[in-house]
Amino acid sequence: MRTHFPWKRALHSKAVWFSLMVTAAFALTAVLGPWLAPQDPYRWGASQADLPPVWVTDGPKAPQADFPLGSDRYGRDILSRLLYGTRTAFFLALLSVPLAGLVGTLVGLTAGYAGGKVDTGLSLLMDMIQSLPGIMFMVMLVLILRSVLSPSWFHGLIALVFGFAAVAWVSLARLIRVQVMVLKAQLFVEAAVSVGATPWQIITRHLLPNVSHLIIAWVINNVPAVILIEAVLGYIGIGVTSADSDNAFSVISWGGMFFSGRSALNRSPLMVVIPSVSILLISMSCILLGDFLKGISRPEAQ
Amino acid sequence: MLAFFARKLLRVIAVVFGTTLLAFLLMHLIPGNPWSNYSSNVRAMKGIWLDAAQEKELYRRFGLDLPLWRQYTRYIVGDFDEQGEFFCGAICGNLGPSIQQRGRTVQDFLFAAPDGGSFWHSAFGYSIRLVFFASCIAVGLGIPLGFLTAARAQTRLKRAVSFGLAALISIPNFVLGLLAMIVFASWLKLIPVLPNWNQPAHWIIPAVVLAAMPIASIARVTQTTLENTLNEDYILTARAKGMTERRVMRVHVLRNALVPITTFLGPVLMEMFGGLFIVENLYAFPGFGRGYWDAILKLDYSLAMGVLLLYAVGIGVVNVSIATLCEILDPRLRAAEEAAAA
Repeated sequence: MRTHFPWKRALHSKAVWFSLMVTAAFALTAVLGPWLAPQDPYRWGASQADLPPVWVTDGPKAPQADFPLGSDRYGRDILSRLLYGTRTAFFLALLSVPLAGLVGTLVGLTAGYAGGKVDTGLSLLMDMIQSLPGIMFMVMLVLILRSVLSPSWFHGLIALVFGFAAVAWVSLARLIRVQVMVLKAQLFVEAAVSVGATPWQIITRHLLPNVSHLIIAWVINNVPAVILIEAVLGYIGIGVTSADSDNAFSVISWGGMFFSGRSALNRSPLMVVIPSVSILLISMSCILLGDFLKGISRPEAQ
Repeated sequence: MLAFFARKLLRVIAVVFGTTLLAFLLMHLIPGNPWSNYSSNVRAMKGIWLDAAQEKELYRRFGLDLPLWRQYTRYIVGDFDEQGEFFCGAICGNLGPSIQQRGRTVQDFLFAAPDGGSFWHSAFGYSIRLVFFASCIAVGLGIPLGFLTAARAQTRLKRAVSFGLAALISIPNFVLGLLAMIVFASWLKLIPVLPNWNQPAHWIIPAVVLAAMPIASIARVTQTTLENTLNEDYILTARAKGMTERRVMRVHVLRNALVPITTFLGPVLMEMFGGLFIVENLYAFPGFGRGYWDAILKLDYSLAMGVLLLYAVGIGVVNVSIATLCEILDPRLRAAEEAAAA
């Protein structure tokens, strides 16, 4: 059953290269952000507020070379904030997606393997969570968690991590549950039972490896989802930075940039365009990578 | 068939009740009360200062001084008012008075136009019209594009469409909405930044934004389904016995591909209703999605509950109808269902 990963095909696929390049570029930006940024992203000043990007010379203010993409209404450098925002996006993706994946895998395996009452109960819970609009559920959880957690500079981030995980696990659990139910009926599981394998062994040795491709595909698809959720919540004004805490300790994120950019859409659309393009590139690379992996897991489709 | 329908319906009712309970608990766990969520300067500006007695009176009037379980049963089943008269709750369609929309009940806010206009100008009417336009666009473009990409020949057009679909599915509607606003409203000045919703032309952009991802996902599912069906043995048999390609398509491929595509429309509609909450906020569209944002951020419990209840019921209705439709379309499913019941 175990097949080797077709490295050769991956190396010849344009989609894989594109995804790798995008991921590498964002990872480098996230790591090297402080060295790449031309300005301190927190430094503000009335004299440098509302600067246009360097190529706009006919505006009310002359651009400054130190602020390549201009500055926001507090005079903070947009390029630097973008670079720092990459770190937030990466942090969120690396923490919340695996967390949700873990919960989803555990619940999916349990529901699918146990069946009966356990399955009915868990399925009802999943139905209930999916009957609430996902983003609204997350908003409520984030609002609750932010008040429960002690107010530190990152409590908005942690709230978002848990809020996302609490909703996102359902879709994975559903996928795995159905797949496990199909697998459980197959002969190799029956054979394993007949030679005396314990449930633990069956789950870890036989079921988990056979759903791993689902988990990987799900993780890849949900990395852009969490980055987007952060941006949406930021746009509404309840993102990782709260609307009234423009102090030195607030977290810089793309959502926060959307929030301050929405009021200046006419004057400097770049503040919204550039984070949008970043999100777009990330999701595009994830989708293409996911498509490639799907092609591998279905050899008959070639 | 009837038993199947009844079982599905019962489950949906159970899920809707569970969902309201979950939403109710979460909503009341959010700190603050409907009158505390103004920051102090907003309060000063609007002149909203409540002393303890006023706040107590407001709490009493909206029933917020009751224990939580009483509030829930009051919301769902009903309660006795001051005169000792019984009033019925959500099960009779009475969703209670809205806290923020002064003097309006929630059902009034959702289903009646504010200025006495027709149903279609209510919050729900606006949203349902937008979803309807968007789903027409999504199905009307998605399925033909899926057929196009499922065609055997590897043409340049097919590759371009496939790539375009992959691009379309990766653009989140929030990002697309913002970009559309910048391009069409800010640069080209084709529509005003604050559109007039009485003009049909202004609906195009929100509807297309809402439909964008569903177009791509419907097309991709159609493509995979068609390809899988074309690989089935019975297609080979049909071709081998000399059936014309047109007849193979109509009799064997279409009928069999219809069920997976129909099943998929459920999640797509769900996704669209979820997208409403974002698109409506983005364009200040007067539907229930935007009403919800206002309600949850100002803790208008009854209005937020009303919207969530409506959404949950909508999802339930969609799921039951899709399941029933699939039963009708595919006799094999019906047989399996009957075998499982026996």
